[in-house]
Formats: sequence, C-alpha cells, structure tokens
Amino acid sequence: MSRREGSLEDPQADSSVSLLPHLEAKIRQTHSLAHLLTKYAEQLLQEYVQHQGDPFGLPGFSPPRLPVAGLSAPAPSHAGLPLPERLRLDAAALAALPPLLDAVRRRQAELNPRAPRLLRHLEDAARQVRALGAALETVLAALGAAAHGPRPEPPATATATAATAAGVFPAKVLGLRVCGLYREWVSRTEGDLSQLVPGGPA
Amino acid sequence: MPAGRPGPAAQSARRPPPLLPLLLLCVLGAPRAGSGAHTAVISPQDPTLLIGSSLQATCSVHGDPPGATAEGLYWTLNGRRLAPELSRVLNASTLALALANLNGSRQQSGDNLVCHARDGSILAGSCLYVGLPPEKPFNISCWSKNMKDLTCRWTPGAHGETFLHTNYSLKYKLRWYGQDNTCEEYHTVGPHSCHVPKDLALFTPYEIWVEATNRLGSARSDVLTLDILDVVTTDPPPDVHVSRVGGLEDQLSVRWVSPPALKDFLFQAKYQIRYRVEDSVDWKVVDDVSNQTSCRLAGLKPGTVYFVQVRCNPFGIYGSKKAGIWSEWSHPTAASTPRSGEAGPGSPRATPSRGGGEPSSGPVRRELKQFLGWLKKHAYCSNLSFRLYDQWRAWMQKSHKTRNQVGRRRGPAQVGVGEGTGRGAGGKQAGEAGPQPPRHRRLPSKHRTRGSCPRADGARREVSGAGRAGGRGARRGPLPPLAAGLARNPPPCPSLRAADAQPLRLPVVVFSGVSLAW
Repeated sequence: MSRREGSLEDPQADSSVSLLPHLEAKIRQTHSLAHLLTKYAEQLLQEYVQHQGDPFGLPGFSPPRLPVAGLSAPAPSHAGLPLPERLRLDAAALAALPPLLDAVRRRQAELNPRAPRLLRHLEDAARQVRALGAALETVLAALGAAAHGPRPEPPATATATAATAAGVFPAKVLGLRVCGLYREWVSRTEGDLSQLVPGGPA
Repeated sequence: MPAGRPGPAAQSARRPPPLLPLLLLCVLGAPRAGSGAHTAVISPQDPTLLIGSSLQATCSVHGDPPGATAEGLYWTLNGRRLAPELSRVLNASTLALALANLNGSRQQSGDNLVCHARDGSILAGSCLYVGLPPEKPFNISCWSKNMKDLTCRWTPGAHGETFLHTNYSLKYKLRWYGQDNTCEEYHTVGPHSCHVPKDLALFTPYEIWVEATNRLGSARSDVLTLDILDVVTTDPPPDVHVSRVGGLEDQLSVRWVSPPALKDFLFQAKYQIRYRVEDSVDWKVVDDVSNQTSCRLAGLKPGTVYFVQVRCNPFGIYGSKKAGIWSEWSHPTAASTPRSGEAGPGSPRATPSRGGGEPSSGPVRRELKQFLGWLKKHAYCSNLSFRLYDQWRAWMQKSHKTRNQVGRRRGPAQVGVGEGTGRGAGGKQAGEAGPQPPRHRRLPSKHRTRGSCPRADGARREVSGAGRAGGRGARRGPLPPLAAGLARNPPPCPSLRAADAQPLRLPVVVFSGVSLAW
C-alpha cells in the first residue's frame, strides 16, 4: 500500500474515487477488528471482575478511577476533535495498552493461578490490541495522517513494577482500570473508524 | 489442627513495599486532584490467617483539608457491610475493626476488606487470606507408558480444601545417587498429576514424592520407591476386529494386534476382553486371555449388537516380578450376531422352526450336543478343536433341515425351546434349571457367558459387570451310559492340523452348567 492513497481532510467528499479499493478494504478490515475487540473487551471485563470477588462486579461498585501511567481515558472533548487527531490518539492509546495488559496478566497469575481462561484472555487481549494498533497505523500512514516523530515508549517496566509492588486490593483495582481503559479505547477506535468506512456515517 | 510446618506468611505482618517512582500509577491512598477527597490506609495489608483465628484491623484516614474524621466510616467484607458493633473509633481519624472466628477465604485472590467513607466511596482495601496449611499428600501412583516416560498421580491431604492456593510439586531422584528433579508438566491426567517425558533410567530405582506449599506452610508426602520396569503399561491393542463366526448365532470372533510399541521387548502379555449388549451398561469381562491375539465369544444372544473392547497388560517386562499395569481399553468395536434363521457365509442355511426354536432338537441330538460340550471341557483330548465342534454343529443343522423336508414332526418338548426361560425343554432338568441349547438360549441375567478364549494355565476366571454368576458352579447330573463309557475310554485324539492349532489350543465350554438327562 503506498504511503498516501487518500486524504483524511474530507474522507467522504470523494470517497468513491479517492479511496483505492485496497485501502478501502484495509479500513473495513480494521474497523471490523475494532468491532470484534470491543465485544471481547466487554467479555474480558466481566470475566475479570468475577475472579476478583465481591464487591468487584456488584452493581454500584465504583472504585476510584485512578490515573494509569502512560494512558488516560478518552477525554470528553475527544469526539469534537478532527478525525485525523482522533485516530492518532486512538493509535497512541492502542500502543500503550499491551504492556499494561501484560502487567495485569502477570499479577493475576499470582492472584488467580487457577483461572487459566482469564490469564489466556488477558494474553490474547494484549496481542489483539497490538494488531489493531498496527492496522490503524497502516491506515493512518496510507492517508498521510500518521503521527510525526517517534511515539514515546510507554513506561511498561515502571507499570509492571507498580503492579507487583502494590497491595493486592490496589492491584485488583488497577487491573479493573486497565481492562476498563482497554474497552473504552477499542470502542472509541471502532467509532472513529466507522466515519472512515465508505458508506459509513460522515 | 492440621499437620504441617508453619510458613513464613503465618504472621500477619508484611514487609513494607518499595518506594514507587513518581511516574507510576497512583495507588489507593493518593489524593484525587482537586477534589479535596479523603484517602485512607488499612493495616494490616493482605494478612494471611488460619481458619478460626481473629483479625484486628484499622482504617486510618488522611485528607485534604486536614482533620479528616473517622466518623461515618464503615467496613465491608466481600461486598457485605459489617455490623457496626464490630467497629469502633480509635481516634479522630482511625476506625478499628475486630473480626473473630474467621471462615476460609471465598476466592483464591483473597477476601476483599474495604474501608468506605460516609458516602459509600472506597477509601482503602486489603485482601485477607484465611485458610489452612497443606496436609501431607498421599496415595502416589505412577506408571510408565512403554518405558519412555513416567506419569504420577496423587491425592492431596485434607481432602484438598485449604481455602488457599496450594502449590503441588512432584519431585524425583535416583535412589542411590543424583540430585532432586522437579516435574514440570502438571495436570496431565487430572488436577493432581504430573508427567516426566524423558531422561528416565531403567533397572535402577527412583524415589518420588510430592511437596505441597501454600501461604500457611508446607507438607511432604511419603517417598515412593519404584523401578520404571515395574510400572510399565502400554497402548490399547490396535486393530481390534469383531466378526461373526459363520452362521453361528451365539458367537463372535475377536481379533487384535499386540501393542507395537513394546514389540521389541521381552514380555508376556495378558489381555482382557469386555463386551456388552448395545443398549446395556453392564460389561462382561473375559479374563486371563494370555498371550493370544484372538478369542471367540460364545453364549451370545442372536441378532444382537455387541460392543467389544480389549486391553493389554505387559507384565514381566525384562523379568520384572510385578503384576504390570493394564492399558486403557481399546476403542469399542461393534458387531452383531446373526439373527435366528439368518444364514452366515459358508454355513448351512438355517431353517426357521415352527416353534421359533432351533431346528435341531430331537432330544437325542440336543443331549448329544450337550455331551460334546461336556466332553470338550473334561476330555483328555486337548487336540479336539473348536473347529471340529463347529463342523459338527453345522452338520447337525443341515441334517435337521433334511429331516424336516421329509416331514419329521417335532415333539412338544421342542416347543418353547428358545423362549428364553432358561429352563430345559420338557421341564426342569434334574438337579438344576440349566441353560437352553445355544441357538435360542436366553440366559438369565445372572448367568455368565464364558469366552471361548484359550487359557494358558488351565485356570479360568470370569468377572461379569452383573456380578458373579453361578454358571460354573451349577451342578451336573450323572453321566449317561454313553458318556460314561466314552469318559472311561476316550477316543483317540485326531491329529492336530496347523489350521486347527491356532489360536484355540483347548476347547472351551460353550454350554455351562448343563446336566445330561437321558
């Protein structure tokens, strides 16, 4: 795929002419992947809270939404940003998620060693979000909207250290927070890509 | 109290966590930016306790602005609010909790003890681990598949429930030298099992044991000493084929191949066969099938589908004196016996009888058949082959057909033969209610069938899923004159042809517990 095969400035104006078929196919494929991961992320969240015990998973359970190093939730103003900027933020978040999910999996391997499904799903989530992030980067590059300069590396080691050093309850809350951020960002990515899919909402 | 050495986590104190870099996540206890919210710290953090013990905990509030109060704070444990009388305010910023007689933890990851603000928001949390130290694992059993590997299984002590994650580690070493090794492939044949895939020595004993460890302590099983050669098992016999025996309605032939994995080693194989009717759950087992790869099942129901399985025990491998370990059963193989009157390949066509019974059955012929069965069991003529007997039966069927065609009238004694009552024609036989002639004999459920498999040592033992039956124990009447005469002066044995020689060396009693009434 060539580096610039379309434009994000007005993706719907000449969508039938400017978006080449393979780019269009790539966008559809990436959007489908985001849609699939949104469902997986919801399932992962449910499975995670089941293994932490009550009150995790109880209606009304509302732990503090603590900030996670290197990643924050989509801002309320995200939806108002230009599409290229939104997609760049999506890509940055997707790049930050894998080491966080790995850290959660390692901690859960200590806390819930007899929950192989949960551990496997956390591992799958890290791998799948990495794939979604790579696919989104490819689309951005093809549209000439990729982020300029190297993306800062997420503090994976620091996060891993924090996850193991904190008490058990804070570690459970951290894992819940990361799973929640994973769900929010793949859902956000799906929504932003839907505006790029030919025939999708403008 | 359960046995086991107390572990390092038995005390509730924990070592303080290392300092966190500034860019790390904010754990519970850090102020929320700009909110003026309070935070708290629970002590102790993540204690480990014995079931039935008590816990004293505190929730200390810090706040912005200062002066945060313990007033209004409350505790929950696993999402359930704890009774106010369990808490007391220690000072302005500290709420204490006293829990007694703790139950085992509800989840592996620990019970969630949470300190809440008046509005229900979470200020701090701590996870409790309440359980028991492990008890000594026991009942270790091991086996080697084709001398290539070793799999062991054990039973955890204390019925396995410690309420804490307990780690089991299988260790092994050569008895007289070598270092301890740890098995790495767990849960291969159940939750408490491990598999050592390679690098095992033969002709030298191993010591094997299991170590169990959790937060409250550890325990070690007794040591099991074994030689790999004494615990060898193998794959089920492959290529099990079940087929009809000509037109014989009550027999099926079973053939199999000895397990190829051990073909290069010196061992004596024992086999067992089990079979059942298609819609039954009761297996009948034919035991002591020694070193043969075929067998004939007899006394079966006509027109019935049977499932058959075979398994192998490679005992005595390399001279081992141990009993050996049975393989798994082979995949079930099914075959059906011919229906009554159905012709089999190469056999005389059966003539349907008026009474639904077998076509042969003048009293002389039936009794001659019974006598021949007895003769085969008790005769000194070890060469008398089952094949010869089958030929005689086929001849009998053919001759009956011939007699029917010339209008021979069947007597009342033949009516009801094959009705499946188990009673002899004409009423109960002297001394017993023996089984019917094989054609339409429906054996009582308690009655055993005997496989026509040869025995190597002259002893036959049979186990039925329905329990032991008394077929062999049935009383026999006195011999009729002809039989008695033959018993005194047995005819010369026919010469054994190579085709007859195998696989049946000794004839098998097809009809058991019959008595001869002349």
